[in-house]
Amino acid sequence: MSLLWTLVISAVTVLATFPLTRFLGRHAGWPIAALYLAAAAAFWPAAAQVMAGDTPTWSMPWVPTLGLDLSLRADGLGTVFTFIALVIGAIVLAYSTAYLKPGRNLTFYFYMAMFTVSMVGLVLADDLILLFLCWELTSLASFFLIARSGYAGEAASMRTLLITFLGGLGLLAAVTAIIVRTGTTTLSEALAHEVWDTSPGFTAAVALLVILAAFTKSAQFPFHVWLPDAMAAATPVSAYLHAAAVVKAGIFLLMRFSPAFHDVPVWNVLLITTGLVTCGIGGWFALQKTDLKKLMAYSTVSQLGLIVATIGVGTEYALAAAILHVIAHALFKSGLFMMVGVVDHATGTRDVRRMPVLSSAMPMAFWVTVLGCASMAGVPPMLGFVSKESILTSMLDSPFGVVASWAAFLGVALTAILTFAYCAKIVFNGFYDGRGQAKWPEDRPLHTTPWALGTFAAIPIVVGLPLAFVVGILDTPVGRATAAMLPADAEEPHPHLALWHGVNLELITSLAIIAVGVMVILRRRFFFPAREHDTFSFDGADVIRVINDTAADIGKALGALARADNPTRHVAVQFVALAALVLGGVGVLVARDELLPVQEGLVSPVDAVVLVIIAGAVVVLGRASSRLAAVVALSTIGAAVTVQIFALGAPDVGMTQLLVEALTVLMIMLVLQRLPQTFGRGPRWGNKAALVLAVVGGLSAGVATWALTGRRDRSEIAIWYLTEGPVETSGDNVVNTILVEFRALDTFGELTVLGMAAAAMVAILSTVRDRYLDPPPEADRNYVAPPEVPLQAEGSTAYRAIAEAWGNAVPMQIMVRVTAPLLAIISTILFLRGHNSPGGGFIAALVGSSIVALIYLATSRDRVVGPPRLPLRLVAVGVLIAIGTGIWGMLGHASFLEPLHGYVFDIHVSTSMVFDLGVYLAVLGLVMEAFNLLGATGGREGTRERADESVEGEISGPMDTSRGERYAETRRGIPGRRSTYLQQDRPPRPGGGQ
Amino acid sequence: MIIPITVGVLTAGAIYLMLQRGMVRIIFGLSLLAHAANLVILSAGVTAWRGEPFPDAAGAADAGDPLPQAFVLTAIVIALAVTVLMLAMAVIGHNDDTKRMPETGETHRR
Repeated sequence: MSLLWTLVISAVTVLATFPLTRFLGRHAGWPIAALYLAAAAAFWPAAAQVMAGDTPTWSMPWVPTLGLDLSLRADGLGTVFTFIALVIGAIVLAYSTAYLKPGRNLTFYFYMAMFTVSMVGLVLADDLILLFLCWELTSLASFFLIARSGYAGEAASMRTLLITFLGGLGLLAAVTAIIVRTGTTTLSEALAHEVWDTSPGFTAAVALLVILAAFTKSAQFPFHVWLPDAMAAATPVSAYLHAAAVVKAGIFLLMRFSPAFHDVPVWNVLLITTGLVTCGIGGWFALQKTDLKKLMAYSTVSQLGLIVATIGVGTEYALAAAILHVIAHALFKSGLFMMVGVVDHATGTRDVRRMPVLSSAMPMAFWVTVLGCASMAGVPPMLGFVSKESILTSMLDSPFGVVASWAAFLGVALTAILTFAYCAKIVFNGFYDGRGQAKWPEDRPLHTTPWALGTFAAIPIVVGLPLAFVVGILDTPVGRATAAMLPADAEEPHPHLALWHGVNLELITSLAIIAVGVMVILRRRFFFPAREHDTFSFDGADVIRVINDTAADIGKALGALARADNPTRHVAVQFVALAALVLGGVGVLVARDELLPVQEGLVSPVDAVVLVIIAGAVVVLGRASSRLAAVVALSTIGAAVTVQIFALGAPDVGMTQLLVEALTVLMIMLVLQRLPQTFGRGPRWGNKAALVLAVVGGLSAGVATWALTGRRDRSEIAIWYLTEGPVETSGDNVVNTILVEFRALDTFGELTVLGMAAAAMVAILSTVRDRYLDPPPEADRNYVAPPEVPLQAEGSTAYRAIAEAWGNAVPMQIMVRVTAPLLAIISTILFLRGHNSPGGGFIAALVGSSIVALIYLATSRDRVVGPPRLPLRLVAVGVLIAIGTGIWGMLGHASFLEPLHGYVFDIHVSTSMVFDLGVYLAVLGLVMEAFNLLGATGGREGTRERADESVEGEISGPMDTSRGERYAETRRGIPGRRSTYLQQDRPPRPGGGQ
Repeated sequence: MIIPITVGVLTAGAIYLMLQRGMVRIIFGLSLLAHAANLVILSAGVTAWRGEPFPDAAGAADAGDPLPQAFVLTAIVIALAVTVLMLAMAVIGHNDDTKRMPETGETHRR
């Protein structure tokens, strides 16, 4: 339970950041640090158990169907890392209260807390999926913490994300492979599995994936580039994430998987070589930096390399040395990072070339930094000295033969010289020499360091000093952690850490390193400035940019093959492909004589009549240059197809087709009055090419239909619907019951398509400004003035009949008064009887829509039918009703959209009727919206104003905005007072790409 | 086997129109293609049985396959929605030429 409490307190901290930062501002760091310490205290009983040789666990079912458990397990390794994460975290947060600018700083505290909980989860996880999730969460939190530092962090955070997620993918692959192969998601069981001994190939592959993940996170060459980048983040972030926590997550992963891989050759070789190379180049680059924070970043890269190399040795002694150095490094590096923050705060710069003499001005900070650097450089009697001695010993005692051991030993010794040199640079260039003293005005005072800033920066460094003298107390934790890094059956390790091991090779080496270092210090006025230039003319960011740009270019080149602004190219490609597929495939079927016999009685005389009409109308439609003539031909085809559908025994479909045809023709006519009278030019390749493609495509479609339909008996499912459908639903109209009951989810999808079409029309039209959407006659190249009809004088009846519309509309209006109620009644009847006879929601809605069309046509000039916001609301209500019945069915029958049947006064009712109402409203909404938008013919209201009114309600003119623009950016055409846009200053929703 | 010929004629007309430049002709082509597709789906239910699918009223012996009919009914209404959306785009700038971008006052990177 102790484990759970730790995690729960950490998780509560994340939520607590919201109220705490609201009330306390930047001082929220105090209670949050206290919560961290509380979490650490909660962990204490578990830690005590671990030290006693136990491994407390806790688990609960997580996804039972997949056999996943939310399981936690504390061993020596988890304990050490938990305390590092929580205690260093608490110190850094206390430091932040003085470092951050006054203000809420919510994102800082929120992401820090989120990071901590995921880090604690990571190190305590005993489930591979949980491990992976926490791993990715640490990556994400780290990304956000870098990204929140503004413009400088933008590109850097993206590079960090790219690299760490690459490793995340590696870990995902590794975790998946392990789960599949070992059959368990429990980490401790998987690591103890026999597969690691029996299958070397699999072991090596998984080891490589784990190494990829760890190297990206722990900034090992060549993935080290993100860490210096990440210095764009605030100093507390660097001190915590980039010294103690996030980069140590990679180290942790290597240590966690060490029991399985510690004796795998590829593991040893890769870890040691990459580790030492990283250590070397990190140290070299650190020496070249003048920015103290960048210097620290490269020094971290270097130190991580050292730890990785030590893990790679894989012996008990080496693993103990590695964990000791992890502890030592977490302490001195987080402290040093915070010291950089102190210096930055005091002087306003981090560049050693501009530093005044600080050793006398800030003696406390100076001596703390000296201690920290001494620990990093491995100068006795610091904790870093003990760990570096241990690392040297473990290299010398490695099991890889004398030559390799000596090579590794010398490698560590050489990198130690670099470490010593850059440590000297920090101390002397940063504090003592005052290289920038000349540029520093005499009277410019240093900023006073707040007590919290200095104190908490000093704590982690200062505790390293006494710890070195009583390093024996770390024997048990280090021993338990080492035990966790060795296979379960290995002998319990008992390391004996001590400051003084007597005079041995390691001590002499350390003295030699110090001697070389002292020479560097003596020659520093020449040595350091001479190093301060980059070795390469490019850096990691450039490499990533090149990779990124190359990938984008390739993507663009590939995309260009299929990209076209007009549909011709897509259509042509698709139909050529269809023709090739069909003609080839059917050819093969015919050649092998594999076609089934044709069913008898497929043909009816009506089919022939329909074919003749359609063929004639298609020819007319293709040849017509007048748009009006084309519409007539199109509606002829529509009518003929309707006849064909009725002849196929589908009355519901036929009625739908007929009504849709009528409405479509009306809408087309609305649009045509704003378009040129005749069609434009033909396609670029000429009409002949189009004709050839059309003939081939038509032939293949016909052949496909001939070859692939009408060659079987009635399907089982048809028989089932016909016999069982009425029984199941007590509705005789099988098509309708399929729509609203059996396949209601399809219908639900369809009515959302209708709703989306209505919303999309409004959305698209409201991106185009009024003067471009409906250009005035002088700007409209296709404008045709109304014909001059030489008639009698203005005011005469003949004149009015032509020039004024209202007189012509009177008969229509009178007719509407009669037909509209009649149609409403018909619509209602069709709706109600849909379950048993032809009718239902779609057909009823289309009849209802024709009332809208009639009303629209009967007015003497274009105007909106109904309130402007009604159509979109109808659509929304329709979709909501459909969802409501779906959920209702789910509650009643445990299945989305399953209808509930019942009786009201002996009349059978079903919730599918309510669903049908949703369909009705959505169709009606779409048709109303279409008439309102497409019917706007200039006059008083343009299309743009109609589109705006669909959302905003009645306004006095079109908005002069595109979606995504702010109100302040608009210049004229201010929307009317009833617009919520103006009242609440709520601009239209931002569009994409803005 | 006449319906396959009807489908072929409709598809040929559809392709010819969809290869033209004007949006309105493309819309017309799409309507023809929708007709053709609907007939294909209906004929997949085998056109030898042409009774109306009302088992109690008309008897199930001769009834057509109701499932393709339900699909086609849905398809017709969706075709209406697509047509309406395309009509709305055809009307922008009072010009339906798809080779020329309508003038919208926007500058867009290409």
